[in-house]
Amino acid sequence: MKTKTTSGIGNPLSRLEGKLKVMGKAKYSSEFAFENLAFAQGIQSTIASGTITAIDTSEAEKQEGVLKIITYQNALELKGYNGRVESPSTKGISPSLQTPEVHFYGEYIGVVVAETFEQARYAANLIKVTYAENKHKINFEENLDSVYKPDKANGQPADTSWGDLEAGLQEAAAKIDVTYNTPIEHHHPMELHNIIAVWEGDKVTAYASTQMVENAVITIAETFQMPKENVRVITPYVGGGFGSKLQLREHATLGIMAAKMVDRPVQFTVTRHEMFTAIGFRQHNQQRMRLGADKDGNLIAVGHDTTSHTSFTEEFQETCGLMTRMLYKTPNSLVTHRLMKLNLPSPRWMRAPGEAPGSFALESAMDELAHELRMDPAELRIQNDTQKDPSNDKPFSSRQLVECIRIGAKKFDWKNKWNPKPGHTQKENWMVGYGMSASSRAAPYLKSSAEVTLKRDGETVTAVLKTDATDIGTGTYTILGQTVAETLNLDIEDVQVELGDSKFPVSPGSGGSWGAASFANGAREACINAINNLKTLASTDENLSIVELMQQADLTEHNAKGTAAPTEEFDDYSVYSFGANFCEVWVDKDTGMVRLEHFVNVASAGKILNPKTAYGQIIGGITWGLGQALTEHTEVEPNYGNFITRSFADYHVPVNLDLGKIDVVFVPEEDYIANPMGVKGIGELGITSIAAAIANAVFNATGKRVRDLPITPQKVVTTPVTA
Amino acid sequence: MRPFQFHSPSNAAEALQKHTKDQKTHYLGGGTNLIDLMKEDVERPDHLVEVADLPFKEISKTANGGLMLGATLNNTDTANHTDVRKNYPLLTMAMLSAATEQIRNMATNGGNILQRTRCPYYFETSMPCNKREPGSGCGALNGANGKSAIFGWSESCVATHPSDMCVALAALNAKVHVEKEDGSSRVIPFSEFHRLPGDQPEKDTTLEIGELITGIELPESQFPDHYYYYKVRERSSYAFALVSAAVGLKLSGNTITKAGLAIGKVAHKPWKLEKVEKFLAGKEATLENFEAAADLAFEDAQPLSKNAYKIELGKKTLVQALVRAAARS
Ligand SMILES: Cc1cc2nc3c(=O)[nH]c(=O)nc-3n(C[C@H](O)[C@H](O)[C@H](O)COP(=O)(O)OP(=O)(O)OC[C@H]3O[C@@H](n4cnc5c(N)ncnc54)[C@H](O)[C@@H]3O)c2cc1C
Ligand code: SF4
Repeated sequence: MKTKTTSGIGNPLSRLEGKLKVMGKAKYSSEFAFENLAFAQGIQSTIASGTITAIDTSEAEKQEGVLKIITYQNALELKGYNGRVESPSTKGISPSLQTPEVHFYGEYIGVVVAETFEQARYAANLIKVTYAENKHKINFEENLDSVYKPDKANGQPADTSWGDLEAGLQEAAAKIDVTYNTPIEHHHPMELHNIIAVWEGDKVTAYASTQMVENAVITIAETFQMPKENVRVITPYVGGGFGSKLQLREHATLGIMAAKMVDRPVQFTVTRHEMFTAIGFRQHNQQRMRLGADKDGNLIAVGHDTTSHTSFTEEFQETCGLMTRMLYKTPNSLVTHRLMKLNLPSPRWMRAPGEAPGSFALESAMDELAHELRMDPAELRIQNDTQKDPSNDKPFSSRQLVECIRIGAKKFDWKNKWNPKPGHTQKENWMVGYGMSASSRAAPYLKSSAEVTLKRDGETVTAVLKTDATDIGTGTYTILGQTVAETLNLDIEDVQVELGDSKFPVSPGSGGSWGAASFANGAREACINAINNLKTLASTDENLSIVELMQQADLTEHNAKGTAAPTEEFDDYSVYSFGANFCEVWVDKDTGMVRLEHFVNVASAGKILNPKTAYGQIIGGITWGLGQALTEHTEVEPNYGNFITRSFADYHVPVNLDLGKIDVVFVPEEDYIANPMGVKGIGELGITSIAAAIANAVFNATGKRVRDLPITPQKVVTTPVTA
Repeated sequence: MRPFQFHSPSNAAEALQKHTKDQKTHYLGGGTNLIDLMKEDVERPDHLVEVADLPFKEISKTANGGLMLGATLNNTDTANHTDVRKNYPLLTMAMLSAATEQIRNMATNGGNILQRTRCPYYFETSMPCNKREPGSGCGALNGANGKSAIFGWSESCVATHPSDMCVALAALNAKVHVEKEDGSSRVIPFSEFHRLPGDQPEKDTTLEIGELITGIELPESQFPDHYYYYKVRERSSYAFALVSAAVGLKLSGNTITKAGLAIGKVAHKPWKLEKVEKFLAGKEATLENFEAAADLAFEDAQPLSKNAYKIELGKKTLVQALVRAAARS
């Protein structure tokens, strides 16, 4: 029998649901069968700004299988924005088809519902739309003079400052003032966004691919102005989210609306092409970095100004300056965020919103400063370490950045390998370069509930854990199974986990790297309550096994709920995960093709519940960071304003061959201020600062500083050598 | 996808007879290009005549010592065929750099040389594109033209031909064999097979409507020792080229006696470098000569607003391909 020592937390168990997935038996939202299922296909706008003047649906209506065509002319009335620009929230409304106005190219302006997907798609092609076009704003550079200060940058203050940046820069012995650009990027979870909506009377059930069940319920209830109790959301398996599935989007609204209007279950699956416009993306960020240091490398001025774009219907800005506010000690700091409105879809959250592009700017700038100072960039980071969060003077609950850097440097053999002179090592046509970066990511912890049901059959107790948490491919089933096995001292084989149903106790959902910590503590709380209840029922104080307790209490079944939530103490600290990256790249000296040879990531992220699933998060993060650094880029068509990189043939995600050897080290950490189990998230830490490490290595190899991502061959070839 | 009729003939005569001899019919090879375009509503055939199973799956020796590649054989088996690997390794190298194993397993030789451009405007039916819809304008000309042509383009189309295989075929002086319904056949030299856009960008090739490709002929063994296909792209595999170079050299000592050269993704057709081939013949295989060759190759380049990098990148790619071809032994 397995015990908690082999199946409890800390063991590298394979995914509990892995076999189901391999066998095709794990049911994703589009795989629920309904006899009468109809299919919806969206119709998208083909201008970036204007008003619909006519919609000719006559041809489409004649086609076989077509059940209904929905446009703003006949759509159900929903709660709308009423012209207000709202900050998106994961539980915000998702109205659609409420006006004839068009705000961006590719906006859903209608839906065709038909017997089959093919019929719906064909009919959608036959619809002719006429517009009165407005002059659109689509060009980032041309609209820079229209920027304004947003209320908030993804919930954080837009601007912060202390000391006097200009004075600090004046004093500095070494300084840099450079601007970086990170392009629009898209998240493309393997599972397309999808909903199957089923109405029964005034109640609706949504089989929806979503990261957050409770918030999805609220979005539907609010959008359709119906009681929350009448909405049920089911999503047992989610094929990736990356932030794109934090909020139920317009396709879900349209699927629910269509189901109501045709009085049948309706499936609306967002096509891969529509995924570029319908589900958010990472915005283009232009980041000016000003750093100043004294001759010994102590930072005395840190400035980080971010400019990005939002849409005309919503205000969203990722907080690129977040890490700059807390990573290094400095007496003078100024961090700002500015926005312009463009006729592009609304940008939204994408894995490590803020940190992913922000860390590229900060950690590239640190490398540039180290180069100015003729200093080892790893030492520059260590020199400026701080145990107190400079943005709020709170102590860190734990901070092992320096340890991460030292361990990583040793593993990589940084001291022997690193050489500040670009071009130091050549292998045939390749120029070899080394780069490093430091990283941090907040480790939030939110209220989370779960319910555990224990059943005893003679000498065996089995447990079923239920929570509305989601497994978006990250390993939630497994780590919660391990948490239950650990807390109740059961064999993992006797533990079952059920997720992703709004009938289950409420969790905060998967997002913001809080999932593992919050869900696991919630599950543990339910288990502890079960043990305590059983002790009372068995009238004992002794630490008996679950079987013994249930026997002594003469029970064959017991049910307990539990909720974990942060204490007040949590707010007295700054709670973060930290990491360090080291890498070796090879750059072809003629064609500028870059290849990653070796990557070392060291993470200090609390207790690692399962090294295998945690490792998966980090290598996924590195892979995406590599995409950010080298390949991923959505291009805005300069005259019409659509995303012209419109498929996977144009939008390049990395392939296996792009990845070299990857080493991941988890630094042991006990941080019980973070939460009772000492767990911190790693999903977003995994992508943070990866691009900077790679870009720094490209500079070290070639002497070329490519400040606009991605670092494609054409950019390497045309960028001059500056070192 | 629009409704269409599907025909599955068992021989060439039947296939030719099923073709309606107008735009309404398309032959279907592996479908890796055509089916995608139908799903995107770009191609709207009423009839599909499947040719993938027609009996042109052989690779056979020709009377004059060359090789005939069957039109319906897939790209994987063609690239890996012993005679191709041995005598035309440049073709193997180019073909294996394309797409993925799965796509190459499906793709036929006939379909490969007829694949359409990857110009994003061509794929997006809401955008202007003369190739898709003659007269609607060319979106790329003053738009997102970073990957467009630098040679031979016209105001009506600046698209590039995307095939890797075709770049090698151009360097190797291949010929395309086609059949007509009346049973007659003709042979088209590769350099005349694809065309420049001119004011008819909807026409990629000189193939007449209804003609069926039966094979691709290679002249006797070409460059078995000194060859290189250099493909520069934005990731290590599964990406179309930014620019590519196919180089075959015949050396006597260090003297080049013959060169077969073409560059890819720079024009509406694989860009055969005849002038440069002549320039190199009789010259020593030195870096200086290779650089002079690259200058000559790109001297007539006419970049658009966003693709001037292709000149610099293209020259370096060609030089490197020459260096590597010469160094091979
Ligand atoms: C994602 C992706 C990536 C790719 N990457 C690359 C790459 O890197 N490099 C590269 O070179 N290619 C690449 N390709 C393209 C691929 O090589 C082509 O799609 C393939 O070669 C087409 O062959 P097919 O048999 O599938 O053609 P089909 O799609 O069946 O047909 C293409 C055209 O040829 C016509 N046709 C087919 N056979 C005949 C015949 N015998 N006679 C007359 N007409 C005929 C058809 O009517 C159609 O118009 C990629 C494709 C995809 C989808
Ligand atoms: S370049 Fe050719 S294919 Fe591209 S938009 Fe212009 S006409 Fe169409």
